[in-house]
Amino acid sequence: MARVAIQNLSKIFPPPQKGGDPVTAIGDISFEVDGNVFVSIVGPSGCGKSTLLNILSGVETPTSGSVSVTEGSRPARLGYVFQDARLLPWRTVIDNMLYVRDDDRSETATRYLDMVGLGHTHDMFPGQLSGGMQQRVGIARAFSVEPDLLLMDEPFSHLDAITARSLRDHLQALWTATRKTVLFVTHDVVEAVQLSDRIIVLAPGGRIFDDIGIELPHPRRAADPKVATLQAEILGRFEEMQPSTVTGLESLG
Amino acid sequence: MTAAPISLGGPAPRQGRLHQVLTSPQGAQVTAIFVFVALWQLVTLVAPRVPGPVDVTQFLYTEITGGSHGGIVTGQFFEHFAITLQRFSLGLLIGFTAGLLVGVVIGLSGLARALLNDTVLVLLTMPAFVWAFLTTMWFGISWRAPVLTVAFTAFPFVAINVAQGARAITPELKNMSTAFEVGRTKRFRHLIVPAITGYIFAGLRFAIIVGWNGILLSEWFSGQAGVGFRTRYWFDANRYRGFVGWVIVFIVFIVVLDRLVLNRLQARAFRWRDPLQGEIDLSHQEQAGA
Repeated sequence: MARVAIQNLSKIFPPPQKGGDPVTAIGDISFEVDGNVFVSIVGPSGCGKSTLLNILSGVETPTSGSVSVTEGSRPARLGYVFQDARLLPWRTVIDNMLYVRDDDRSETATRYLDMVGLGHTHDMFPGQLSGGMQQRVGIARAFSVEPDLLLMDEPFSHLDAITARSLRDHLQALWTATRKTVLFVTHDVVEAVQLSDRIIVLAPGGRIFDDIGIELPHPRRAADPKVATLQAEILGRFEEMQPSTVTGLESLG
Repeated sequence: MTAAPISLGGPAPRQGRLHQVLTSPQGAQVTAIFVFVALWQLVTLVAPRVPGPVDVTQFLYTEITGGSHGGIVTGQFFEHFAITLQRFSLGLLIGFTAGLLVGVVIGLSGLARALLNDTVLVLLTMPAFVWAFLTTMWFGISWRAPVLTVAFTAFPFVAINVAQGARAITPELKNMSTAFEVGRTKRFRHLIVPAITGYIFAGLRFAIIVGWNGILLSEWFSGQAGVGFRTRYWFDANRYRGFVGWVIVFIVFIVVLDRLVLNRLQARAFRWRDPLQGEIDLSHQEQAGA
């Protein structure tokens, strides 16, 4: 049960060219995530979603404000799923799973591999798997370190629609079984509605636009009419926001 | 690609099969050797001072089996070869290890790159004979001179290649390792070493070739034993068949090492690139057929 507390967080990058303006990736945001919830962070490109994840994972430091990720009184253990699978091409699937573990206990790794339906790929090399299968290994790998908080950065954006849909089902099954705290970054509202308990909407300039709770039981099927209705409703709200989004973009440029 | 005639049941026509053998890569390689020997024989007809292939083969036979060669005792082939091989292996081990370490450091740290890169480049441009001279000046006639000549000539080739490999490791995999807090030892073994393996082999190949040249020169100048010494011995004795014979030993050794040892090691290291080829091909065919 990880707790994420973000307070007055800003991240400003130096100007990309000489004489240009500094770029505000995240502009003074605050929110908290507590407990075993699946939270999506949604927004158009360039609104600071990935920067937020990078700060949470310690790859980047904030310009101001504070971030804490804790599990009880200790720092939380993190797991990651990236946009691409990021497997070591020269190591077998099981060795890739063990690479990120502190111990060499292959039973745990094998169990998670079975959960995404890839038990048979144990001794295969990543190059022998399809893109979707590689990403499933990536997801199993992230769960197998048994993290307190799972950070996922648009994990399905590089896959075709059908593969992505099947992987969402795999993810939901894994999540329902383990109930980890998840921060899931995506630009796909439909995907966010299907997966999340809560959607935090970011706008260009790195501000929080909206914070939406979704109370439907898990796992949810994409074709479920209740899910579809909610998706339509939230998409509608997005379209209402569109004019100000465009203004936001202009003020950035 | 010219298609071989398709035969059902009976053997293929004789001429077709010969044609197939001759045009295969192995056939072409063997042909190249024959062409070379024939050209060599032709050259000896024009220039009588050049020893011919038969002469040289006879010489090598006596040098290997023992006997007298115009008053000079032969039969010390393996003795000299073993001495050179020992020095070469030791020198290569030193040069390779140092090159690997320095290369990884240069490749991974910007500061180390600024500090060491130019030095390595300077070493790279040093011809082997400079090291052969320098080490002889430093150590006189001793085993240290050839060993260090090999080490010095091999080192920069390994370092520069390994550095290039280490720089080429994708930031995605590095970030992934950082995110999952993978330890240094594990990272070195599973990320860095496999990523630079191709570059290590490239460096090692160059290192072997320049190092082998280096040891010939060093033993030529300062040796009292070894392949280089023996080559010079025959040169000084005005026996060119001996000289050419030993040069051929040199070349054959390198080719055999490259083909039999390095190629196999490399194929093993790169299993992940096309593992179980048959299986993959089959699945593709199934998909195409469906």
